Amino acid sequence: MYSVKIPSITRYQIVGCYRGRLNIRDTKLPTLDHFRVVNHAFPKTKEIMDLKRQGKMIFGWLCTYVPEEIIHAAGILPVRITGYSREMELEDGNAYLYVNNCSFSRSCLQMGLRGEYDYLDGVVAGSTCDGARRLFDLWLHYIKTPFHHILTVPRKYTERAHGLYYEQVGMFKQHLEQYLNIKITDAALLQSIEVYNESRDLLKKLYELRKLDKPLITGTETMEVLNASFRMPKELFNHYLRQLLAELAISGRACPSRARLMVTGSVMNNPEFIQSIEELGGLVVTDELCTSTRYWSDPVVLDGWSPLEAISRRYLSNFPCARMVPSDGRFERILQLAREYRIDGVISQIIRYCVPYAHDLPLMTEKLRQINIPTLALDVEYGTSGSGQIRTRVQAFLEMLETRKK
Amino acid sequence: MKTLGVDIGSLNIKAVVLGDDGILGASIVPPGDEIEAGARKAIGMALAQASLSNNSLPAAATGTGAKLISFIPQQKAITTCLARGIHYLLPSARMVIDMGAESTTILKVNERGRLADWVNHDKCASGTGLFLQQMAKLMGVPLEEMAHLSLQAHARADISNTCAVFAESEVISHVHRDPPTPKEDIVAGIYASIVSRTMSLCKRVGITKDVAVTGGVALNDGLVNIMEQELGFKVLKPKSPQIVAALGAAIIAEETAEKGTK
Amino acid sequence: MTIAEHESEVDLLIRTFRMMARMNRAQPEARPSETLYYQMLAEYYNRIRNARQVGKLLAAHTVFFPTEILYAMDIIPMHTEMTTWLTALFLREQAELLAKGAELGLAPEICSPHRGVAGIFGLKAIPHPDVILWSNLICDNTAKSGELMMELSHSPGFFVDNPFQNSPGEISYLVDELKDMVHFLEEKSGRKMDWNRLSEMVIHANQEIELYQEICALRKAVPSPMSISNYLELLSADYLFPGQPEAIKYLTQLRDELKIMVERGKGAVSHERFRLMTLFVPPMHLINYLARFFEEQGAVSVVEPLFTCWPEGELDPSRPLQSVAMKSFLIPERRSMYGPLGEQALQDIIDSAQQYKIDGAIYWAFMGCRQSCATVRVIKEALSEVDVPMFTIDCDIVDPTVNSEEEIRDKLTQFIEMLEDR
Repeated sequence: MYSVKIPSITRYQIVGCYRGRLNIRDTKLPTLDHFRVVNHAFPKTKEIMDLKRQGKMIFGWLCTYVPEEIIHAAGILPVRITGYSREMELEDGNAYLYVNNCSFSRSCLQMGLRGEYDYLDGVVAGSTCDGARRLFDLWLHYIKTPFHHILTVPRKYTERAHGLYYEQVGMFKQHLEQYLNIKITDAALLQSIEVYNESRDLLKKLYELRKLDKPLITGTETMEVLNASFRMPKELFNHYLRQLLAELAISGRACPSRARLMVTGSVMNNPEFIQSIEELGGLVVTDELCTSTRYWSDPVVLDGWSPLEAISRRYLSNFPCARMVPSDGRFERILQLAREYRIDGVISQIIRYCVPYAHDLPLMTEKLRQINIPTLALDVEYGTSGSGQIRTRVQAFLEMLETRKK
Repeated sequence: MKTLGVDIGSLNIKAVVLGDDGILGASIVPPGDEIEAGARKAIGMALAQASLSNNSLPAAATGTGAKLISFIPQQKAITTCLARGIHYLLPSARMVIDMGAESTTILKVNERGRLADWVNHDKCASGTGLFLQQMAKLMGVPLEEMAHLSLQAHARADISNTCAVFAESEVISHVHRDPPTPKEDIVAGIYASIVSRTMSLCKRVGITKDVAVTGGVALNDGLVNIMEQELGFKVLKPKSPQIVAALGAAIIAEETAEKGTK
Repeated sequence: MTIAEHESEVDLLIRTFRMMARMNRAQPEARPSETLYYQMLAEYYNRIRNARQVGKLLAAHTVFFPTEILYAMDIIPMHTEMTTWLTALFLREQAELLAKGAELGLAPEICSPHRGVAGIFGLKAIPHPDVILWSNLICDNTAKSGELMMELSHSPGFFVDNPFQNSPGEISYLVDELKDMVHFLEEKSGRKMDWNRLSEMVIHANQEIELYQEICALRKAVPSPMSISNYLELLSADYLFPGQPEAIKYLTQLRDELKIMVERGKGAVSHERFRLMTLFVPPMHLINYLARFFEEQGAVSVVEPLFTCWPEGELDPSRPLQSVAMKSFLIPERRSMYGPLGEQALQDIIDSAQQYKIDGAIYWAFMGCRQSCATVRVIKEALSEVDVPMFTIDCDIVDPTVNSEEEIRDKLTQFIEMLEDR
């Protein structure tokens, strides 16, 4: 049977040889290379399989509304469920989830059905969007991971909503405790909060390096770092990221660009997609994605609350997903990012059938236009690496941005 | 008893004359300007092959154009006819992949030759005969040659786009690359993409052996070869894959006539 | 005439419904319940048209909304999606509405009723609503539609956040949300909530649910008495008049008609050969064609488990707001489309297949509805456990360019022939 992972030597990439401004292959950043190796091997990375053999439990999670610290405090390794890193015909995904659920949910389900996540001891999701919740439903039905839990996530930020979400997080904690026959103490939660906050702080430092006129790290490389962050124990990731920051500090790097870009839209974690933009000279200096700023921007703030409440508050009022009402919350943060990183243009990539983000697009485009930032709207499928069509449009967009600058 | 079956498809009209000992005559004819005339021509040719002169045989019609034929009152759905036809030719077949000009249909057939389930794909062009014709034009290769070309491929060009319209632009990129992707690899890539779509459909009804391939595209060795690679086993191919539905119609005509005489 | 040229959609709708009611009444064999239905629709839109004149607040709202609350406050409700569906069905102006929706920037994958709603607001083809009320029932499309409607109409709005599951904390969250909405509406309308009136509506809601259950039970008869052309009527009763005397009147009338049919051994089709289960909703503009096709083939749709089968549940009139909140958990569509896809829902489908003596099922896979289509496979497998074949047709419920009569005929003929062969 011709396997899905086609070895790179027989694969003809439309992208072709990269010539030019930024030699991203020869990074001289050993930690980044290590991250690449981990990402390439995911889901069955050496570290994860080793931990599994040692008896560690591993839970998969979907969506930024799942409180990872709780899983961590229970002594379990949380790993983010993502799909294939290429656009492809999702035969099993289509057969089970039907063709009109977003390709992200179909891609994840297919990987699950084909056993790529068979080491998971649990799956945790939030009732965030239709695609995600149906992915969870079918995962339960067909893959039957031993532990599963879905949290109800309110769509509002009111005190009452915080009350409901706090209750939900509490119920999740209780469910875990009963299942594992343990008690998750406040001390354990505080510990986990510390680890995760450090992670967020380190990622913030990484992003600071992209605010510079000549950023020290590209968008493509940043995506490799972000992917790695969901795929290993946080403590280990923090260690590596500290290392990477040190390597960058002495690297003498300075990435030039034709234009400073922000990528936004549906869930996306394929570095090749960003690479196809950056090879044309547009530097992605920031991003508003579930896999990037939405994931790490906001720390857990204790401020007199119990650790559990602090966690639940942080997760609900986190950098908003397009599902939240009112959508102003998300738009404000996008505009803020655009100003902070001095963006010239925004590239929106929305997956077909990704409803919440598709609904937001017209208004988001308008608000960006009001602060003089044009948006390129791309229709994509999850996993796309940026084909001929996309490159043509990005090229045209970059030329337009350059003309505006003059 | 001798009976007649006619399949009015979008690219061809097929007629089959069936007797107690087997197929007595068959024909495949382009529709021409007028469907009824084309149908009569196809029927005439099949009858001639069967050494019959008159047409008073019990008959049934199927296919997208069947309703345009006023002189054959008995009309049956293409799926029913395909199930009957394949059961007659290949009784071990439990699944049929019918790849026609405009749509692909996957059928599940039970041991009695009855249709158990089916799914088809007709909302877009990907994975059909018409798509292949387009691709052949794009590559500047005659359709007949494409099949053999892919068998010479050492690798498959990656055509990641699932939509036919975008796949087209990817193919163009491959053709104009520097250095250009070998033609045989591009064809293999196109076929792989079509097979992928077909597999998607197949999984909706569940893959069960034996699998038979019918329709014009079944004559394409290159495509069938890639399909077998994906399935992991060989598929059954009737000698004349285009006449299966017409044969099925003839079988139904026989069943109806027998019921009438009882 | 294009939409821009008449006063409003609503005028045309009222005229159409009144005409249909008259035509129906004139026919001797016509169902009185159908006449009643058109009269109800005409009156519904008439109230909308006159709202401003009589000084009542006009509230646009989305699907599966606790409209009882609006009625109890003497606020005139306008169901946005239903208005789009009715436009598609009776006025055939959906092309213009959908085009406007696209112009406003909505992607084609966004469910067509929602694109139509945006279009109707964008074209200002409906009376100006004073408030916009929406919730996250039953999907992301609904949750995202409100802000655009507010923007287009420059009206204030309120979003009801329906929780995903029915734990006690979640139910009380919903009750509190509804309390907030009542305050919002009291402020905007200058009227106070009449809690006694709301209690009465809860009593009516109980009656309504009972009538739905009776109607479903009557359809178990062989031959089955109700045609698929009643399907939309049956749904509209609760969509437009939940807990209202109109719904009771209509459902009672329909139930009585079906009772007589069953007593006389009469079926919806003259020669019943196949009993079918309908999953989701067929393209609305093709429902009458479907009814004629079914008559031809001797097929009848006897049950729609995800839409018209209400579960057991008694609502408590002494706690009206609580009961209105509880009702949202009982709504059949909600049970299958918003909430965990539980084993119970699948068991209900299997039970229906047996109780209604189903020969086959048709799943109308509406391409704009992601969460429904995700259930296609699990439902097909559940039905195959009781040897009921299920056929799936990709369709669009309001966009007439997607499915043609010919296509429906061809595909359903294939299905019927398959059933004949068994």
